[in-house]
Amino acid sequence: MPKSMKLLFRISIIAFLLASCAGNKIVKDYKAVPLETTVFEVPYFSNQEIDYVYKANISVYGNELTGIFIAKKINDTTHRIVFTTEFGNKLLDFEISESDYKVNFILEELDRKLLINTLVADFRLLLRSHYTTSNQFDNGEESVYETLDKNKMNYLYVSKTTNKLSKIVHATKRKAKINLYFTSKNDIFADKIIIEHKNIKLKIELNYFNQ
Amino acid sequence: MKTKIFIIVFFLNVCQFQSWSQEQKMSDGEITAFKQSVAVVSKKIKTLSTDFVQYKHLDFLSKDIETSGKMIFKEPYSLLWQYKKPYNYSIVFKNGKILINDEGKKSAVDIGSSKLFGKINKLIVGSVSGDLFDDKEFSISYFKNKEQNIAKFIPKDATLKKYIKQIDLTFDKEDATVIQVKLLESSADYTRIVLKNKVINAKVDEASFSN
Repeated sequence: MPKSMKLLFRISIIAFLLASCAGNKIVKDYKAVPLETTVFEVPYFSNQEIDYVYKANISVYGNELTGIFIAKKINDTTHRIVFTTEFGNKLLDFEISESDYKVNFILEELDRKLLINTLVADFRLLLRSHYTTSNQFDNGEESVYETLDKNKMNYLYVSKTTNKLSKIVHATKRKAKINLYFTSKNDIFADKIIIEHKNIKLKIELNYFNQ
Repeated sequence: MKTKIFIIVFFLNVCQFQSWSQEQKMSDGEITAFKQSVAVVSKKIKTLSTDFVQYKHLDFLSKDIETSGKMIFKEPYSLLWQYKKPYNYSIVFKNGKILINDEGKKSAVDIGSSKLFGKINKLIVGSVSGDLFDDKEFSISYFKNKEQNIAKFIPKDATLKKYIKQIDLTFDKEDATVIQVKLLESSADYTRIVLKNKVINAKVDEASFSN
């Protein structure tokens, strides 16, 4: 084998090893298992009859913002999202579907393209109810469904004992971008939700309140 | 022809609306008498404490969002606005500062020179005490029905206008105190605050405003 060929061969092996190490970091502690289902439905914001009302605490780069977060599914494809202060004055009012969004109202001080895009992406992830799964992983306690989301992935963590969705990780193959944690007692709505960004200092905490 | 039909239908609707709400415009004499009686009462107010129920109406929701709590005011500008249900959240305006207590999590904002917050403070105190009749700040119109007098305030200040389209104060005819505050937004949505168990000029401890 000529020298150059040997070098190429070595590089290929190293590259292959590196690539397989890098593999899938998100589910590295889970083992791949055969896919049990190709669809996964999230119940938490899917009922058109329910007004989903939460006390919201938003922490963004050290600043705290609190208020009331309201979501309602208004038709098959679209949710209406409103965020108000505790006094009731509206800070933002969006309509969001998987492919589109409309700003009905936003306070001038918050009217920044970057902020709107971030929030729309977060809310879309929060509200999405239908997923097509492509791979499945398991660690004995949880099943994880891998689903494709444009050029990224969503990993859905489902407890094997309660069969409830407890976490969504929005990620590339290597790195988590956004983590969503759900606590649900009844499987109809989530009592508590945390949306945590990994690359920007943004955390949204939502606590359901009964009326 | 079409225009004529439109005009007729429009006026029919307006008339219907007026007869439903049974709200009538006050005469000039009634306005003067009403303003005088409110001025007499609000001038006497050194302290005021009241329970309140807040109804946030969003047209797309099936039910108003209900929160409730207590408000305490002490001359000249100390104000506590405290939500007790369904969550604990209180806000104190005192000596140019806003103190917030969100479920035990405390924060403070220095508003010393903020004109807007000065206006908001004045607005809240004025709304509850009835002392809001400033022609420089608002265009005011006056209405009455069987048991109540209603004053409608449209802000003139451009900044304030962004937050509030109109404020309706409903007064009890008997004692000339405010029983309901309605804050209208630039859409069909509003916040309605009903005041109950009002106590005027009872001793109020300074500690009420420490938050």
